[in-house]
Amino acid sequence: MAAFASLGAQTADLIPPGKAHLRDTTQDAARTLETFLTSVERKAFRIAQIALRHEADALDVVQDAMLQLSSRYASRPPEEWRPLFYRILENRVRDVQRRRSVRSRVMAYLPWRGQVEDDTVDPIEQAVDKAPLPPAQLESDEAMAALEQAIAALPARQQQAFLLRNLEGLDVAETAATMKCSQGSVKTHYFRALQALRLKLGEFRT
Amino acid sequence: MTGDPTEAGNSEFEQRARALLIRSAEELPGAVRSRLTRARYAALAARPSQTPSLARRWVPAGVAVAAALGLLVLYLPHGRGLGENPVANAGMEDIELLTDNDAVPLNGDQDVDYDFYEWAAEEAAGATAPTLGS
Repeated sequence: MAAFASLGAQTADLIPPGKAHLRDTTQDAARTLETFLTSVERKAFRIAQIALRHEADALDVVQDAMLQLSSRYASRPPEEWRPLFYRILENRVRDVQRRRSVRSRVMAYLPWRGQVEDDTVDPIEQAVDKAPLPPAQLESDEAMAALEQAIAALPARQQQAFLLRNLEGLDVAETAATMKCSQGSVKTHYFRALQALRLKLGEFRT
Repeated sequence: MTGDPTEAGNSEFEQRARALLIRSAEELPGAVRSRLTRARYAALAARPSQTPSLARRWVPAGVAVAAALGLLVLYLPHGRGLGENPVANAGMEDIELLTDNDAVPLNGDQDVDYDFYEWAAEEAAGATAPTLGS
């Protein structure tokens, strides 16, 4: 918050005297953007995490999407931000998946594959927490894990349609704008995703 | 198939899935939340300013000053003071040239007696050439 306050102060310094309305507009716009980013950041992280199955990559992708929205599209009307932001996020997720795919193909041809592990896992981070969980929490965690796994196994477009509609709560039109396809396609993707998840999970309990 | 697929959240399955997903987003670990907050501040800092920046406001003044300096450099005489201005001293030099007795006269060829030179040349030619029968 201190960083934001100092940013506001710096911006205010640049405004010539007698143009206070500009300062108000600038601060309002910054506040609106901050509110928007706050409202989407966690859901965006979860969407990226489910798609990428990697926390650090998901954080990077969300940060990139925020930066790009802020630096390029902040001047657009705020009602356009949500579809734009999720489109940027989706593009970043695809970029990471493409890079991974290329890297794994290249690594498959290298003779010393398996010896170099740049994604070293921290054993402390990976250690299972032995503390007992309440049964309800445990059930919920298991259900979430199963759901996450099932969503991750969906084709990309179905996954995107399902998460945007259920996690972010976009309507069909917003989802179509985000996915750059027709509303009919969104409905089809969503319905297929739902069918696949039902088939895999049954009527799971929360 | 359950109900209208265009209406998300109608079925119990969807409601459960949504509740799980939203809860998982709300209950993120502290480290992740902190990183997201930092990312948000970085994004806000990258937001282009809506007001003219300090640098942009000083650009026209800078250009004007640079142009004035360029004109001064082009039109001011280099390496000479005002006292050494040749135009200013032209009158004095002219007077010195005209009053100098040792100088070659500017109108010297007007005083030359061309008839004398022609006669002398003829005389010299007559003296050196032997006359026939002498």
